[in-house]
Amino acid sequence: MKQFISIILLFVFLFGQESMADRPNPCEDPLLNLAEKKGIKAIPIKDIPRFRKLMKACENDGGEKVIEKIVYKDWQRDYKKAKTMASFTPTFSVLVFLVMIYYFIGLGIATK
Amino acid sequence: MAQPKISVGLGLGLYEPTLSGFDENIDVPFPTGTMLNRNFLLNWAVYYEFFSNARLGYNSYSSFEAGKLDLINSKAVYRRTIIYRMFPLETYFRWKPRVELNFTLTPIWGRGRISVDTTPGDKSEDWNQLINSFGVSDPVSDLGATDAMINDWIGFSGMIGIRYYLSTRIGLDMKMGFMDNSYKNDKWRLQKKEVTGPIMKIDELPLLSFKVFYGFK
Repeated sequence: MKQFISIILLFVFLFGQESMADRPNPCEDPLLNLAEKKGIKAIPIKDIPRFRKLMKACENDGGEKVIEKIVYKDWQRDYKKAKTMASFTPTFSVLVFLVMIYYFIGLGIATK
Repeated sequence: MAQPKISVGLGLGLYEPTLSGFDENIDVPFPTGTMLNRNFLLNWAVYYEFFSNARLGYNSYSSFEAGKLDLINSKAVYRRTIIYRMFPLETYFRWKPRVELNFTLTPIWGRGRISVDTTPGDKSEDWNQLINSFGVSDPVSDLGATDAMINDWIGFSGMIGIRYYLSTRIGLDMKMGFMDNSYKNDKWRLQKKEVTGPIMKIDELPLLSFKVFYGFK
């Protein structure tokens, strides 16, 4: 039984290898294109492990700049969208701030 | 696609309630109060970003205590939980690319639960009568049963927080604020009967929380 399993594993290992010559450039994978255009968080959860592997493979193939650009654009996208408050959010934030001040002043007076 | 639409967080809360109903109880010696079962709260949360600067979510803070009570008829296993369930509305903005400031107001649905394993007198006899009918003679003795007394209350909380993003998905969140609970010790229920429970001072409590957040989508 052990010999049988060893032979199976050997064959799986030997024929499971991808030919390096046929492998496409990982930096041009559609998943990396999606991350660059729509952001890293646009990648479906199930594809995250493959995305991480692609990032490493791309970096190893000399695509550090591509990966840096994807990550930088993602940070900037998040920052630009959330750096200023809009609609009801500033009013709400001021309200929370005032409630906190009111509470802590009350607490201070009560403990005197 | 920018900020994470759905994010989950796991962390700890820190507060200082006065549970005099347990700590100053002369008739029943409860397990000794420690920081772990008095001041620490296990905290988890899930948020949905419905607007570019606002999230809605569910946030739960739980305090646990377990031990043995030296009662007249038995050494009963005792468990106590206090859960503060919050439904926060949180607004935020990015002060710097990695730093976010957030502002939260939330109603609270609080629940206290005290369960004790007891040994009711007729329980073993009833089970023995049933099992004896299958042909075995009095196989069980001292059977226990668990009952719980429960109390629900409402409250509200306000918090201001700062979140530092380690990556575009993972952030460390620290919040500071207060919670106010309208707990009444005469509103406990045990098997649908109203009973009086322990005195706990859980109104006007300062609250600190530390969480790790992961943004899914």
